[in-house]
Amino acid sequence: MIETHGLTKRYGSTTAVDHMSFTVQPGLVTGFLGPNGAGKSTTMRMIVGLDSPTDGKVTVNGRRYSEHRAPLHEVGALLDAKAVHTGRTARNHLRAMAATHGIATKRVDEVVEMTGLATVADKRVGGFSLGMGQRLGIASALLGDPQTLILDEPVNGLDPEGVLWVRNLTKYLASQGRTVFLSSHLMSEMALTADHLIVVGRGRVLADAPVSDVIAGAHGSKVRVRSPRADDLEELLRRSGAGVTSAEAGLLEVTGRTAEQIGDSAAAARLPLHELTTVGSSLEDAYLQLTADEVEYHSTQVGIPTATGAEPAIQGASR
Amino acid sequence: MSAITATPTFTRSIPSNIGRQTWFARSVRAEWIKFWTVRSTVWTLVATVVVMVGISVLAAWGSTVEAVDPGSSMNTAQLLSAGYQVAQLVVAVLGVLTITGEYSTGMIRSTFAAVPRRVNVLAAKVLVLSAVVLAVSVVSMALSYVATLPWQDELGAKLDLTDPETLRMTVGLPLYLMAIALFAFALGALLRHSAAALTAVIAMLLVVENVLMIIPLRAIELISPFLPSTAGRRVLFDTEMLTATDAVTAGTGLAPWVGFGVLMVWVLALGAVAAVLLRRRDA
Repeated sequence: MIETHGLTKRYGSTTAVDHMSFTVQPGLVTGFLGPNGAGKSTTMRMIVGLDSPTDGKVTVNGRRYSEHRAPLHEVGALLDAKAVHTGRTARNHLRAMAATHGIATKRVDEVVEMTGLATVADKRVGGFSLGMGQRLGIASALLGDPQTLILDEPVNGLDPEGVLWVRNLTKYLASQGRTVFLSSHLMSEMALTADHLIVVGRGRVLADAPVSDVIAGAHGSKVRVRSPRADDLEELLRRSGAGVTSAEAGLLEVTGRTAEQIGDSAAAARLPLHELTTVGSSLEDAYLQLTADEVEYHSTQVGIPTATGAEPAIQGASR
Repeated sequence: MSAITATPTFTRSIPSNIGRQTWFARSVRAEWIKFWTVRSTVWTLVATVVVMVGISVLAAWGSTVEAVDPGSSMNTAQLLSAGYQVAQLVVAVLGVLTITGEYSTGMIRSTFAAVPRRVNVLAAKVLVLSAVVLAVSVVSMALSYVATLPWQDELGAKLDLTDPETLRMTVGLPLYLMAIALFAFALGALLRHSAAALTAVIAMLLVVENVLMIIPLRAIELISPFLPSTAGRRVLFDTEMLTATDAVTAGTGLAPWVGFGVLMVWVLALGAVAAVLLRRRDA
């Protein structure tokens, strides 16, 4: 369990993290979602004691990170895939990390196998691809078999197989009752992986709720309905208070009703439907609405509002 | 990329001897592994040996060629430390890279996440670096002794360790090189940047001290003898050399071990500042 209370980090006049308070519960995959520059990485660095908060407090399993007798057994962190000396081999890096906690070499071999690094473990990290670097970072995080895992952008640079692997691994770890805290700026990935979401923008918590609630909270999620009796259906839906627009004859876009509700209403009125589709990734809409005013780096208007399946129009370096 | 096969297996009790060893012992073990698993450290150590032995041999050979005073005997200890000026630069590079290599690669974040008591990390690195530099210096001296044997008779050189001055010079060399490595390490820990720290150390050892020594201003003449290398290297000099050095400089002539003590004060002072900042700064 990770708890932050009024956690704040200022760099000069810039406030990277602004009084964040949240709790990350065990047994769930908690997604930490926000645009670049929202303060996700800074928060994660403060959790593991690398950066000290300007104000507020953060504890892991009830104590400050630095107060744990054996921190790697409590918390495994993938903070930065490149937090490894490039001149050292992956195995030697893990051996050195293991030595700090008296962890046996056998465990090093285990995490090497587990993360699919066996063939490259004796090569120097400098030659690693981004994906291999991520796997090594995850291997280090798993080394101490910790109760809490903090993964900053773990799927960054992974191939589809690796993405799937991380998804299954995080779910598996959470199912064992561990605390899994995962940051990403990709809502599509979060929709598939996370149970709970903490959405942040400009250093503040914008939402802290189960994924389904975050999606439900979004306004303007639309249902596309095609019917040969579209006019009758439109009349029916409008009378019930739903928002209806019609882009072309026979096609309606309905807001304020779920696909199920519309289907049921149509069936009750004996109106035939030819299509009934929930439009767009709803989490994405929810996310974009939540963070619309909070993104630090707006790109010059490249069709933001209904970015269905497209990357959000957010640019700029993280951190 | 190979297929990821295994469903991860976790054993809640992974083999670990957390309770049995102290934090410091485990940190030292980790730093020892780190030290030897980077190529640059191995190369700098090889370079130290090559430089020390090579320059000793050149000095021995050169002395026989232009032997000025056939009757006089030469102290072998001086022969063995002939390469110290170059060797100190090599161990300084080693000292700097031991810490800045972690900052430049981001490794320091893994290190501090594993050992949040950062001063432990610093102390463990100091111990490993000191031990290795001492050992390599002793090995270099032994090899230099053997390598210069063919010329020693001709030079009338002998290594008499019962002679206090010879003993001081012999013991002084490994200690001096260790102190310089630590001085460089402390600067590296302060500056956290390889290029900046290397520049600072080398400028200090090669330029600043030598330039200041020749500036005939009273204030500088007073400070100059207390600069790290100027003070510390006096343990390597025989009486003749000490007298000659004091003759050209107007400042205080520190006793050899006092000079070395001054160098160690520099090391400790810089190290203390580095340790305080290490705890305070974000990694």
